[in-house]
Amino acid sequence: MLGALLFYQYHSWCNRLLARLRRLRQPKYLVGAIVGGLYLYFCFFRGSAGSRAARPPPLPLAVPPDLNDLPQTLAALGFMVMVLLAWILPHSRAALAFSEAEVAFLFPAPVTRRTLINFKLLKSQAAIAFSSLLLTLIGRGWGGGHPLIRMFGWWAAFSVFNLHLLGSSFALTMLMDRGLSNWKRRAIFLGGAAAVAAAIFLWMRHSLPPFPSAPDQDGFKWIVDYIGQVFQSGPLPWLLAPFRLVIAPYFASGFVEFLKALAPVLAIIVLHYFWVVRSNVAFEEASVELSRKVAERMAAVRSGNWQAARQPKKAVRPPFTLRPPGPPWVALFWKNLISAGQYVTARVWLMLVWVAVFAGLLLQTQLRRGGGGLEVGVLFFIGMLLAMSLFSGPQMLRNDLRQDLPAADVLKMLPMPGWQVVLGEVLAPAAMLAAVQWLLILFAAIFFPRHFEKHLIPLAARLTVALAAALLLPLIDLIALLIPNAAALYFPAWYHLGKDAPRGFETMGQQLILTFGQLLILILALLLPAGVFTAVFLCLSFLGWPLLGVLLGALAAAVLLATEAALGLRLLGGVFTRFDLSAELL
Amino acid sequence: MDIAPPRITETAAPPPQIEVAGLTKLYGDLPAVTDLSFVVRSGEVIGLVGPNGAGKTTTLRCLAGIIPPTRGAVRICGFDLARQPIEAKRRLAFFSDEPRLFDYLTVAQHLTFIARIYGVAGYQETGRQLLEELEIAGKADKLPIELSRGMKQKLAIACGLLHAPQVIFFDEPLTGLDPIGIRRMKDSILKRARAGAAILISSHLLHLLEEVCSHVLILKDGRKIIDGSLEEVRQRFSEQSGGGNLEDVFFRATGETKGEA
Repeated sequence: MLGALLFYQYHSWCNRLLARLRRLRQPKYLVGAIVGGLYLYFCFFRGSAGSRAARPPPLPLAVPPDLNDLPQTLAALGFMVMVLLAWILPHSRAALAFSEAEVAFLFPAPVTRRTLINFKLLKSQAAIAFSSLLLTLIGRGWGGGHPLIRMFGWWAAFSVFNLHLLGSSFALTMLMDRGLSNWKRRAIFLGGAAAVAAAIFLWMRHSLPPFPSAPDQDGFKWIVDYIGQVFQSGPLPWLLAPFRLVIAPYFASGFVEFLKALAPVLAIIVLHYFWVVRSNVAFEEASVELSRKVAERMAAVRSGNWQAARQPKKAVRPPFTLRPPGPPWVALFWKNLISAGQYVTARVWLMLVWVAVFAGLLLQTQLRRGGGGLEVGVLFFIGMLLAMSLFSGPQMLRNDLRQDLPAADVLKMLPMPGWQVVLGEVLAPAAMLAAVQWLLILFAAIFFPRHFEKHLIPLAARLTVALAAALLLPLIDLIALLIPNAAALYFPAWYHLGKDAPRGFETMGQQLILTFGQLLILILALLLPAGVFTAVFLCLSFLGWPLLGVLLGALAAAVLLATEAALGLRLLGGVFTRFDLSAELL
Repeated sequence: MDIAPPRITETAAPPPQIEVAGLTKLYGDLPAVTDLSFVVRSGEVIGLVGPNGAGKTTTLRCLAGIIPPTRGAVRICGFDLARQPIEAKRRLAFFSDEPRLFDYLTVAQHLTFIARIYGVAGYQETGRQLLEELEIAGKADKLPIELSRGMKQKLAIACGLLHAPQVIFFDEPLTGLDPIGIRRMKDSILKRARAGAAILISSHLLHLLEEVCSHVLILKDGRKIIDGSLEEVRQRFSEQSGGGNLEDVFFRATGETKGEA
């Protein structure tokens, strides 16, 4: 029976590969494949192939020689945390993710439970092998061993974790069936983990010297030394021992050492396998549900709608009351704000509170110590966030046409001119980005140093620059958002709108072309406003009114940006009106 | 409840609401619909029938403004769909076989959204009545994911009817509905027709069309084979070889035999 399943898997892979190769006959995929291939070559292979001599060898992890063991210990600690989370986080019954077709064909077929698990495990080996290869290519500098050793090291760790995840999910389902609720189980595991952590902390307080109150002259060496002491003595080495075994093959320095390290891992894999196949837990019902969810998520992701991959769990309160009279594009803005609200969850707020508390504590400590460099640091951080919001924000916030184009038939029926549809669609992410940026500008205005290299920066100057930035950034956001929306309308096939949208490294190449194209168009769109701003600023500075120059320059640039945005909306509106779904999506 | 199809009176003909002239749609070089012309007047319910691939859905999508025709003209309530799309779209509603809803809007939020798009004043009362009529009034705060397929279909219908369209297109309207839903749907179609709406229904359920349609249009390979009132079409084909119902007419008109089907 397993032979039939392997036959199915083998031919699925072959047919998928053939379909991808055939697709290369279309120029858009061929160009994408060439760009994607070149990208992969330059990123991963160039350094390890012929031109190796031209480049310096990758550096091993920068730790002092006496602490060479630290990476291994940290990796073991990370592995331990992941295993612990596997026992704490799950909240639903054990389920094996099959495709919907596999569920339809295999579950009613005379296939034993063990065969299904074996098939699933073999299938997961493909993903593990691919992940191992990818991480080996990406992490060329992570440890100095031979690439083959590192690849099989990844494989060993992933295989153990995959089996452990399955085994723990079966065990947790059994506990659930015996009446142990999720919260009780979490309390037990978290309590256990907390008790162990407390014991280690107490040991540290009694056995180790106190934590240094201030850094010494050697930078962060004191921290590394201290952590080294914690990990090399007391209870932690014993606690981490089984996890060190699993990650030991990755850190092997030679093939003999690797084989020695691999033997215990193989034993762990075999033990885990028997644990999994002997666990008498019904997974079929939960698997059917999981398969359905996975299929929906895949359809959403393939259609370019990553956010819809997370199905909304509960209704979101509208951001404002929408009444019937008024411009209809506001309805699209309202709808997309509700859509974005799905992702502003309690967890996000909790994270923001954590960041705020941490930043506040840091600020308080530094102010007590009289640290002067903090303002510059915070300002630099805010500048970085602003730049990120400008360049990455439009790619991350996709509650616009990129989200709604798979439902373009609904949009096409709406009695609205095309430009209004585009405006309503892009306004929600533009408004969200502007809100974040205004907040950052406010922080920047507060933290901007009053003195910079012995020059006094008056409040009026700080406020003027902040005002100019607050005026310009939302317009730049609007243009930056119009560009990917235009790309989605002009090249829908590259935006993966269809249900059976393609994947592969040729689509990665297409994405690269799109990303660079978008960046180039944004730069071109900003050239003229930037030039006008500079000219106005320089003229008025020459006359002795630099602040007025900033303000009037920003106003002139804003008029130009608004004109560009309006022209862009008109252009895209026309494209949307002429957009032929039958040619693109159906 | 009486669900007899609306009768065509002998008095002055009602105004045409849907006018199609020479509609042609090509997918690349492949003709999906070729030179299709017909008129649907106020109060008429026309059944669009044909074998798979006949071009029914393409026709409906062209008429609803979802896809542009390659050639030909479509007028909705006197407005040219290509030149005055906003005015034309304001007056029509299209119901696809698969309900098209926004995952993150609740039932009530869907109605609010549509009310703003179409500028429906006092939509709360109309919306409440529609939800009650369709028996989903208790689901106002639910997301589509929490609704069954039939309920999603009902929500799509409520959204489409909120602005009281004068022209309605149905593509397989009974898919996913339970028997009570089917009966209510038939009643609803006839109620809108009596109120003066022009309705075009595409369906393979010929007995449904026989119950609700006043007219029928048969398509095959993208071309019109015949259109006219049910009586006219029946008469024409019964003259040729005798026989009665729409199913027999369909098989004779399309040149298929029941055995082949």
